[in-house]
Amino acid sequence: MNSTFILFCRREWQLLFRNTANLVQPLCFFVIITLLFPFSLPLENELLSRIGGGVIWVSAVLAILMSLDAMFKADYNDGALEQWLMHPRSLPIAMLAKVFIHWVATGLLLTLFSPVLSMAFRIPTDQIWVLFIGLLLGTPSLSLIGAIGAALTVSLHRGGVLLAVIILPLYIPILIFGAGMITQSSLGASIDSQVYALIAILTLAITLTPFAIAGALRITIE
Amino acid sequence: MIDSQKAKEVLLQAQELACTRGDRRLFESLEFSLSEAECLHVIGSNGSGKTSLLRIIAGINHPTKGRITWSGKPVLNNHSSDTEFLANLAYLGHKDGLKNELTSVENLSFYRRLENTFDPNQIDRDLAQMGILEHADISVGKLSFGQRRRLAFARLLRSEFKLWILDEPFTGVDAEGRELIEQICLEHLATSGAIILTNHQSLEGSSLAPHLSELRL
Repeated sequence: MNSTFILFCRREWQLLFRNTANLVQPLCFFVIITLLFPFSLPLENELLSRIGGGVIWVSAVLAILMSLDAMFKADYNDGALEQWLMHPRSLPIAMLAKVFIHWVATGLLLTLFSPVLSMAFRIPTDQIWVLFIGLLLGTPSLSLIGAIGAALTVSLHRGGVLLAVIILPLYIPILIFGAGMITQSSLGASIDSQVYALIAILTLAITLTPFAIAGALRITIE
Repeated sequence: MIDSQKAKEVLLQAQELACTRGDRRLFESLEFSLSEAECLHVIGSNGSGKTSLLRIIAGINHPTKGRITWSGKPVLNNHSSDTEFLANLAYLGHKDGLKNELTSVENLSFYRRLENTFDPNQIDRDLAQMGILEHADISVGKLSFGQRRRLAFARLLRSEFKLWILDEPFTGVDAEGRELIEQICLEHLATSGAIILTNHQSLEGSSLAPHLSELRL
């Protein structure tokens, strides 16, 4: 019970429910942005269901981006980051746990809500599954990669824009494969290649980004 | 005094330590050593690099130059991987590392679990010693600054920490709190621990005086 990963997961989980804004805000943002599209676009049957998957993906990316700024802010402001930096326990593992809980609170929650939103776009059932799997595999990478940017900008007062400029270009590959899956399946083609690509990106992200996050924090907190 | 110091083991030694912030040189060729049961008071004006020095020793910042040894063994240049050294020290800076949303007990339990010394009864005893046991289940955000400070000190009450690094430990605490902090510092020194601290006022008149040595930046 005393592994670094579990300890940090427990702590982040506890904090999540003490400060529910972090849980509710990204989800509300995601739902509202997504629902603006059916209201504003012309009511052609085909159009909404064709663009729906892409719209949900972009909204998910933006919602996660919005939540990144707060990821390390509180820990930076109250000095908890300093304590971890000088702790004998592994900083990368601790940060991996932190990002994991962040993903549960944002990416996973958005993924679970995506089938409901798909209905507003009249996306066919088989494609809802494709969207769901895509988000499930893609959003953890979004959190992990985004955490590097969050770590780099943690000491800045208004780092939000800089964070977006650093991170959004890195999100493009995930967006291409994730949204591409839906187009591909609507044409009746196999989505295996996209699934493999997303799994490959996720594997790389899980193994490499914790070290990048830890390194970024060490540089930033001087 | 000198004789009694000689018998004590030298814990920490700094050689040729230098630190530059941007273009400003804060200090260079700084040398000092710290023995068991010694309290090193770092003195300097605002911006003279006191906090930087403390953070360098704690491994949060890196010195521009120089070497630190712990119990005779050089601390790795890449401090952060020197777990043996890091396990020996506790750093308490301007920010206390406590979470507003969690209660005193939860905050303390998290750190004790990280350090593998979790014991609920011990946590109660530590809180009682710092006089904040009645606030044990209140979220830290609702504590006053002085109470927060006491909680931060409760975290240090562990024999595994041989070296306490305290940045302005007496800021914001009342006379009673100050006495309490001095008391636990004395107990720590009595169990052959060591302390490095900064403070704006002189500590000559305090109960720490017999253990005190000074370092001017």
